[in-house]
Amino acid sequence: MSEPQGAAGVIHDLGYRRYDGPRLGRGQIVRALTWHSFRSAFGIGRGVKAKIIPILACIAICLPAFVNAFAVARGNPRLFGYDVYSPQLRVIVVTIFIAAQAPELVSRDLRSHVLPLYFSRPIRRGDYPLAKYIALTAALLLLIEVPLLITYVGTIASSKNGHGVWDETKALIPGLGVGLMWAVLMAAVGLVLASLTGRRAYATGIVAISCFLTWTVSEVLIQAEGGMYSTSTGARIAGLFSPFNILDGIRIWLGGTSPGEDANPGHFGPLYGVVGVLLLAACLGGLAARYRKVSRA
Amino acid sequence: MPPNQASEPPEPPPPASRAISDAVIETSALTKVYPGNVIALEGLTVSVAPGVTGLVGANGAGKSTLIKILLGLLPPTKGQAKVLGYDTETSGETIRTLLGYMPEHDCLPPDVTATEFVTHLGRMSGLPPTVAKERAAESLRHVGLHEERYRLIGTYSTGMKQRVKLAQALVGDPRLLLLDEPTNGLDPAGRSAMLDLIERIGAEFGISIVVASHLLGEIEQICDHLVAIEAGRLLRADTITSFTKASQVLAVEVDEGLAQLQQELKARGLAVTLAQRTLLVPLGGDDTYDVVRDAVADLALPLCRLEQRRHQVEELFRDEESQEHV
Repeated sequence: MSEPQGAAGVIHDLGYRRYDGPRLGRGQIVRALTWHSFRSAFGIGRGVKAKIIPILACIAICLPAFVNAFAVARGNPRLFGYDVYSPQLRVIVVTIFIAAQAPELVSRDLRSHVLPLYFSRPIRRGDYPLAKYIALTAALLLLIEVPLLITYVGTIASSKNGHGVWDETKALIPGLGVGLMWAVLMAAVGLVLASLTGRRAYATGIVAISCFLTWTVSEVLIQAEGGMYSTSTGARIAGLFSPFNILDGIRIWLGGTSPGEDANPGHFGPLYGVVGVLLLAACLGGLAARYRKVSRA
Repeated sequence: MPPNQASEPPEPPPPASRAISDAVIETSALTKVYPGNVIALEGLTVSVAPGVTGLVGANGAGKSTLIKILLGLLPPTKGQAKVLGYDTETSGETIRTLLGYMPEHDCLPPDVTATEFVTHLGRMSGLPPTVAKERAAESLRHVGLHEERYRLIGTYSTGMKQRVKLAQALVGDPRLLLLDEPTNGLDPAGRSAMLDLIERIGAEFGISIVVASHLLGEIEQICDHLVAIEAGRLLRADTITSFTKASQVLAVEVDEGLAQLQQELKARGLAVTLAQRTLLVPLGGDDTYDVVRDAVADLALPLCRLEQRRHQVEELFRDEESQEHV
């Protein structure tokens, strides 16, 4: 039996070493968790299987950019606007990516009940979902913005003069802004849906079905109301049923001119902005509430 | 966004109470009432000295609630708790850097190796990257996982998983370990191996340990002190020796004349209780054996069992309760 006095001071030579070096503060721990999660969003540090979908998604979404570079090199004008890129493809790839990777970030830990181990460490309750959110936002940003940059480089490579480069740069910047908007909203939507269940297959299903179903419903409603060029109120607000069309509506409201999704908000633009912000707030609030509950369980 | 090297940790001011008390845990009038008026802890005042301490109580006695309050994850309704001199309500983060926690339930992902997992949790404890890697390897070695540590956790036996859970609690070099039912789900050999390991960590690594368990007989082998709680209240806090003395009983079985013997033993001044077909007599000393022997001999009853037993903690509580009611 140990002597309490001895236990407090003496360390016997059994190879146990104390650690007296520097320790990271809470902010740096959260940063480490964010970096860890960001890597696992692309399957880095995980098995081969975990890398398949991220790699396929990256390849798929970059294809139009390479086609554009090829077309521009042969003398054609740029094939699409930076603010919309290849709209349908982007919806599909982003949906597949968040459906596969948001559960990777949150459902695994829920399934294996790892959270008590995080919460017994020097971070606060909200830090865990925050780190996951930043990580998925950054991953989506990379997925969405890299093709835009490839498009940009591919286009200016064939540009004859500085004026052309400047025009391209001016067109690119709003496009990057739209990409940021997409990443910020869709990461929140994906994570809050994925965190509903620890069962990964269900989480993937919930995210994929929610995104595709709402998008389909929204598109069908727009068509039923006379299509995207219709000026009926129904067609104008039908876009609000899908996060993708909300994003597109906000883009048009903020001055985007390229034809993108079928959203056509008209004078309902501000409504799209408000609904977008509310949706984001609801998702983030839901995520925070979800983890408040988990840590008490 | 590469992980940054360690910089200055937020150095908390040294706690004032350290000079006054050496207790690793101190609670005063700690009360926790959950919504719906469920009382989990009621006026718990206890002080835990350095060393290995057993926290015993039946399931639902308030052990887990106490642990959550000590980790700074749950605010008490009333009263306060201090861990290593820090207040749990105001210094939760500081406490959690000094604490290692091993939860009761399964908490390991199956699809990573033990090394990767413990390294990651070392990072989450605030260790810089290379240190986390080194300490993860060391912690796993200390708990007895060698080459297996490169295997996926999903392929481990229950005993190995319990060791990984212990290793992740050790990785951050804690000053205090909170172990919640560390022998849960283990076979007898696994249990004694885990208990040996805990005893070694307490004695040789110089880390104070609180082991929560509902099996008194098990943890009394390795503890210096015991704290018993029931229904959220302190039942008893004492050194192990005085505790187990009270918990030792003599089990007497006879083929016939059980009631007769009970009468006789009562007449001879023993507080005898009947449990199914066994008479339980509190073991005062060697004379208790003599009294029982004489009683059985005088009544000429066929004695078929006379053995020293240790109570499980539930039985101990039943005794305490019945004594209270007397």
